[in-house]
Parts: sequence; C-alpha cells; structure tokens
Amino acid sequence: MIVVRDADGNSSLGARLPRFEDGRLLRGRGRFIADDPPARCLHVAFVRSPHPHALIEDVDVTRAGSAPGVVSVLTAADRPHVPLVDAVAVPGLVKTPQPALAGERVRFVGEAVAMVLAESRARAEDAAELVEVRYAALAPVVDPEAALLLPPLDPALGSNEVYRGRRDTPGLEAAFAEADHVVSGTFSTGRLTAAPMEGRACAATFDPVTGLLTVRCSTQSPHLLQRKIATCLGMDLTAVRVLVDDVGGGFGQKIPASPEEIAVALAARAADRPVLWVEDRRENLVAAPHGKEQHVELALALDADGTFRALRCDVLGDAGAYSFNSASALIEAYLAAGLLPGAYRIPETGWRVRSVLTTKAPIAPYRGVGWTSGHTARELLIDRAARLLGRDPVDLRRQNLVRPGDLPYTTPTGMTYDSGSHLATLERAAKLVDAADVVAGPTADGRCRGFGISPYVEPSGWGSAGAAESSWSFASHDSVRVEMAASGAVTAVVGTPSQGQGHTTTLAQLVASVLACDPRRVRVVTGDTAGTPLSTAGTRASRVATVIGGALLQATERLAAKLALVAGHLLGVDPAEISFRDGRAVAASGSIGLAEIATAAVADPSVRAALPEPDLTATAFYDPPATYSNGCVAVVVEVDPGTGRVDVVDAAVVEDCGTVINPMVVDGQTLGAFAQGVGAALYEDAGYGADGSPRATSFADYLLPTARCLPRVALEHLESPAPHTRGGIKGMGESAMIATPGAVACAVAAAVAPLGVTVTHIPIRPDELVAPEE
Amino acid sequence: MSPEDPLVRRAADAITVALTVNDRPARMIVESRTSLADALRDELGLTGTHVACEQGICGACTVEVDGEAVRACLLLAVQADGAEVRTVEGLAAPGEPLHPIQQAFTDQHALQCGFCTPGLLMTVHHLLTERHGVDEAEVRTVVSGHLCRCTGYQGIVDAVLQADRAWDRTPGDRAG
Repeated sequence: MIVVRDADGNSSLGARLPRFEDGRLLRGRGRFIADDPPARCLHVAFVRSPHPHALIEDVDVTRAGSAPGVVSVLTAADRPHVPLVDAVAVPGLVKTPQPALAGERVRFVGEAVAMVLAESRARAEDAAELVEVRYAALAPVVDPEAALLLPPLDPALGSNEVYRGRRDTPGLEAAFAEADHVVSGTFSTGRLTAAPMEGRACAATFDPVTGLLTVRCSTQSPHLLQRKIATCLGMDLTAVRVLVDDVGGGFGQKIPASPEEIAVALAARAADRPVLWVEDRRENLVAAPHGKEQHVELALALDADGTFRALRCDVLGDAGAYSFNSASALIEAYLAAGLLPGAYRIPETGWRVRSVLTTKAPIAPYRGVGWTSGHTARELLIDRAARLLGRDPVDLRRQNLVRPGDLPYTTPTGMTYDSGSHLATLERAAKLVDAADVVAGPTADGRCRGFGISPYVEPSGWGSAGAAESSWSFASHDSVRVEMAASGAVTAVVGTPSQGQGHTTTLAQLVASVLACDPRRVRVVTGDTAGTPLSTAGTRASRVATVIGGALLQATERLAAKLALVAGHLLGVDPAEISFRDGRAVAASGSIGLAEIATAAVADPSVRAALPEPDLTATAFYDPPATYSNGCVAVVVEVDPGTGRVDVVDAAVVEDCGTVINPMVVDGQTLGAFAQGVGAALYEDAGYGADGSPRATSFADYLLPTARCLPRVALEHLESPAPHTRGGIKGMGESAMIATPGAVACAVAAAVAPLGVTVTHIPIRPDELVAPEE
Repeated sequence: MSPEDPLVRRAADAITVALTVNDRPARMIVESRTSLADALRDELGLTGTHVACEQGICGACTVEVDGEAVRACLLLAVQADGAEVRTVEGLAAPGEPLHPIQQAFTDQHALQCGFCTPGLLMTVHHLLTERHGVDEAEVRTVVSGHLCRCTGYQGIVDAVLQADRAWDRTPGDRAG
C-alpha cells in the first residue's frame, strides 16, 4: 500500500477548492454547441405537430423546398432507419419503437414531422412555416386512467398499458389485518421538465471518404448516443464518434438519445455539409422529454404506538407518447415503488405498478427519477398519520427511522442501506429550522405557518449492483485511464461528461489525493468516444463520484505503483519503501520529483533496461457495490390564506454522502436541487389541457424559481463513509430533489390543515389553498 | 416566388451597423430582424453572450448598452447602431486577472454549468456600478431577473455581496 499524504498529513480530498472550469466560463469562453458551429454548416428547423394525436395524411414540402436559403426538406419517407427503442429488459415491459421523424401518426404536440435544412436558422424557420402537413385529428389521450380504456396510440400494441406488475411481501395482508390504524391517501406529482438553460443541441459532420460520422452533442451519455446512432443508422460503432464539450445543464433530460439527434445524424450522412440543430426554448419545453407525472395510492399500517408495520402503494405512471429510449416507461413508476420504504423501518411492503401511454411528451429521467414522486407521497401520508394519531411529525419519524444499530439494513424491496446517519440528520435538520418555534401558530399578519420535514435515502452511485437492488436492468461498464506526461502533469481520461457538476475539479482532487500532488497538476479529459474509455451509462444517477471516482482511485494507485518502480530504481531503494508527498516520491534515503521520474521513464535508458515496461499509463474498471446516501430536508412555509401565496421562509438540508471530495461542490448540488424541489412543489407545471395541448410553452408559463422565491438554506454535512465503495464515496446529486418537494408539501399541508384544506398533489396551486367561503 | 414575397425581401435585407463593443469600434452586417444577441454572436464571434429563451425572460443574453443592462434578445441589432456595448468578454481581457465580480463568482461557487453566467455577470456589473453597499434583499430582487437552473442562487447572492465589498469602483478602475 502506498502512503498518500502531503507534508501536513492532508490529502486534496475534502478541500473546498474553487473549480478549475470556472475561469473559462466566467470569461465567456465556454464552448456550448451553438458557440462553435461547424464551418459551412446547414441549420435545422423542425416542423412539429400542432396536434396531440393525428394521422398524417400528406406532407407537402414543395413551397418550403424552394424558399430562399433552403437546401433540403426531409420527411420520414426520405431517410429509412431503425427506430429508437428502449433497451430496458424488465419482463412484461412493452416496447414502442420511435422514428426520428413521425411518419404515419403524431402522438404529442411538438413531435417532429419534417426537418428543414437551410443556410441559417432564421431561413430554416421561415421555410418550416411553408411545409404543408395534412392531419386527420384523433382523440387526445390525456388522463392516464382513461388511457387504459381508449384506443391504443400504437395499434400494434393492443393497449395503452405498457406495463403492469405486482410485488408483495408474504406478510403484507396479515400486517394490514392486524394493524391498529390504517392511513391511506392518493397523491400525485405533476409533469415537470428539466429545463436546462442550454436546450438540446447537436452538430453532425460526415466524411464520405473515411465513412466517419462525427456528432458533437450536448449530452450526458456520449457512449450511449454513439450506440444509438450506430444502431439507428446501421453503422459500426467505430464509424460514429461523439464529442461533448460544455453542456449547459442536463438533470437527466440529456441522458437519452433524442429522435432529433438521430434525424440530424441521418441528414448529415446524406448531405455533403455539416448539419447543426440548436433547439429553442419552446422546443425544449414541449418536445424534449418531460419528467415525473405519477399518481400514487398509498396505505400505511401502524400499531397503536405509531410503529410502522406495512406500506402498500399502487403507482400509475404517465409515460407520455413513447416508452422512451434508454430509460423506458418504467423509469418513474417502477423506481418510485422500489424506494417505497425510504429511510424507515417498514417490515412489509406491497406494490402495484402500471405505466400507460398518453398523448404527451415522453417521460425520461429528471433528477430524482421516480423517487421524488414516491417520496413526496409517502411523506405527505406520514404527516397525515401524525395528525390523525395526534403525534408530532418529527417524533413519529424519529420512532420509525432506520437506527444506527439496524445497519446494514435491508428493505423489503431489496435495497441494503450500507451505512448512514438517518436519525442524526433528522435531529440536526429539525434543530436548524427550529421546528419547536413553528408550532407556536400563525404570524402577526395572519399568515399560516407550517413546518415540513423530509428524511431521505438516495440510491446512489449506480453500477450494476445498485441497479439490481432497484430491480433495474443496467449493465453498466465504466473504465478510466490515467497517464503521466514527462512534465509530471497527470491526465485523467473518463467517459462521463460534466453538465456543471465540476468533474474537472473533483476528479482531479481524487487523483491528486493518491499521488499527494497539487490537483492543479491533474487535467481531466472527457467528451470524445474516440479517445475516452468506455462509460456505457454516462453521467446520471449520482454515479460519477462513486463509479468514475472509484475507478480513478484504482487507476491512480496503479500509476503510483509504476512511479514507485521507476523511483525505486533511480533512488536505489526497494519500491515498497517509496511514499508520495508534496509531489515527490520519498524514501528514507532521499526523494525525487514526479517530473524527474516521468522524464526518466521516457528518456533514461537505464530505466528501460531495468523495467520491461516503463509506461506511465494505468487503466481501471470499476463496478461498485450498491451504496445509499441519506439526509434530511426541513422547511418552514408561510401561507397567505387570502391569496394562497406560499413563501418558503426557512430551510435546512443536512446531508450525508459519505466521503466528501469537495464540500463546496456538494453544497452547490444540494442548493441547486433544493431550488428545483421548491419549483416542483410550488411553481413548475408542464401539464396539458384537456384538449391535449401543452400549457407551458415559454418561461412565462413554466415558472422556474427565482432568487426571490428561495430562503437562505442552512447546510450541514455528516460523513458516514460507504463501507464497501472505493474511498467511501457515495453519490449525492439528486438528494435534495428527492426530498425537498415532500418537505415543502408537508409544510404547506400543516399550515392549511387548520383551514380544512388538504394537500394531495404537487405543484400546489395558490387557488387550492384559499379557505372555502363559510 | 414573386419579388413581393416577404422571404425574397428579407434575403435582400442587409444593414450595416456601426457600434463600439468592449471599447473597440465594430461593424456588422445584419438583417433588420436580427437580434443584438445573434449579431454579437454570429457577426462578431462574441459567443459569451448566450441565448436561452429569446423572449426576454431568462436574462442569459444580458449585455450593457450605453451603460444599461439590456436583454440582447429583445433588442434589434440595428437599434444598437452608434451604441456602446459591453459584453462578458469585456469584463477581463484574456491574460488579465478576473474582474472582481468574476472572482467572487468562482470564490462563492456561483456557477455550475455556466450557461446563464455571462448574463448575470453583466447585470451584476451594472448593479454594482450604480450601487455601493447592497444588501441581500436588494441583491435577490435584482438577481430574480435571471433564471439559473443549477445553483439555487445562494452562491450568486453571496458572490454579489463579496464583489460589492471587493470591487474598488474608483474612476479608472477596469471596466468601471
């Protein structure tokens, strides 16, 4: 084992290090897709369906094709290809192939029907208005319960239900029969959308001589996109190269391959010029995949003393128009059911899961996938139980949370919580927002105050084991490479791009911690499927710190072992005596700098004579065991009973993600997810009208939280290192988005309970909170 | 297609705009419908000004025009003829240290993906040029004109408060 500490005994791990990526972005020198269009590129505008559901009778592109600046107009008939299909292997899940451009039928407002290629986006948009599509309108399918009875969106499927499953523990029925109390309720989470500030975008270039298709894309999963493009276009994987530079936010929306990206790739392969597509905000809101939308029926069985005995759920997921590629129609409902018990000891569970197709944008991952909806429903139900039993909501939770002595704790749904601080984070969060003070009653100006608390577990760091504990098929493969140049500088090459998480800094900190060198000497390289090691899943599921971080620790240890061999040779000592400190290899008899070692490895013939392979490159593969972060969100809200306006006036998040690499980055992830959680609870609504038309088509309708909607959030970190992952690292990017909507909803419910108003869904609309007239 | 067709007229539409950008004279040839944001990006290569909603809601495209913070997606390029424009690229030249506002943003982790950041920087630059000794409530009000999906704004608020203290706004200070 190599000793890895700097002179003070510290490592770069845990340092609040400002991010290396910031300077470039702050100077306006980021490289988002639209910032660097390929030379001579054609610009794309898609013609999108105004109908939620219609047969396409005819597409006439004659006028559009002859408009100024237009090079071509493509429809489904022009570029035959293999449609997109989800790769999720859960028995009973129905597949719904999705073409790049709709051919016979449109299934949601915004589905792409044709694409115009022109000399500028403005020219392309002008011509898109001239494409004449004749539709025969069909009935929209908006209500997921009604969807089960309506004619299927895809006649080949026979039903709009694409999944139905059931899983009960053996003692479930007995537990309900014997329970002193059963509390039940039906809750729902509305449609949300990730709304990254940079929408989806890609630029594709085809070289007909080499046969290489190069696609620069704003994506979270370059290797997955490479595979999807190769499959859809019938090309070999190595003939498709995906590049990623800066990505202006993802939050899950940029995990799947978009049909538009396949269309751009198809167009570029046929054109002799590069093709660029940068979606506008309306496209992003209506045509990019949405998130959430679930309806959850819950029943909780309790003993007279408040002990939880059993929890049952019936989850109905509204999948939208397609069981979307890479995630499928199960991504919401199935994952919600898997995390049913959350942070509580509940011996018996039962779930029914259904997923149905509707004429809405497809559902894809959005931060806290599935878990947000299930968690919010459960926490609202627990508060309802507390009110019925006359119990304090913190105390009822305290009684039932997983205790330190229970760990490792296996839930009836098959998750094993490896470690954590479930009770401690609850106590701290409750103290930070001063729960006792809130109970005192309304404010001086008559506003209703409410306290909400929401302890969570986040399944994190998904490799194949973590996924298996969620009963999910997820054959992830993640490798990394670390190499040292003759200068002593280190390059860490990974397949997982960043969308703002700061990997360039945090992954460098991990590598530097092994070599006890300055993290600024480590350059993190990603974003090129031709040059980076494979990450089939990419950046998602709070996995990069755990999976890629763990792989980097392992690869860097291997590199360090090679450095020790060379250093031992140069210093004339046994390599086992070498340790690393302050960027030097140190033995009792002397020391040598990393640059000298690296230069010698390249240029010193004596090194080559002594060591058969003086190569300073190391690779590693890592598929970590499952690990679970935990924590607690607590908020205080004030509700104006006259207007229904809700203000979140105080908040705390106490989180525990095991070993912290960079607390500043953890704070940033937590605060960002908290804001998204407040948005989900109070403001954001990507819902549809009864006629199937989307209600949110601009940021004037889709309300993101602003700085004035949010209180200052108190943050604390507890550290329960994961006992089984490398470095004790757990993931944490989604935690606050899992738990915050529940905390806010519970607080609002508590505030308005004296008015006789109940809260059963998010987003909570102000008009629902106004007390009914006497 | 007849010459009266609006599309044909647009194709013939090319207007020269002369203005000052980041203290240097600049000329650009634009269609009358071209926004200042698109013109800065496409004609002058100043791609630090980002476009995220094109409806004046998100603030990502904010630049300073004659000393006012302006949404460059809502201003036509032709309206900026003769104006003095400052973009994010004008806060600190390459090779120079970061502007105190930029430094505060990195110190306080006020950015993640960085897409909305340039517009925020220009609004904050305008705010702190006019105001000294701002408090949190005022900062939150000004910052609420911008949408950031990553940070939850707390780092941004702290960065503005830091920059207010750190930026020496005596005459002659850079970009002041």
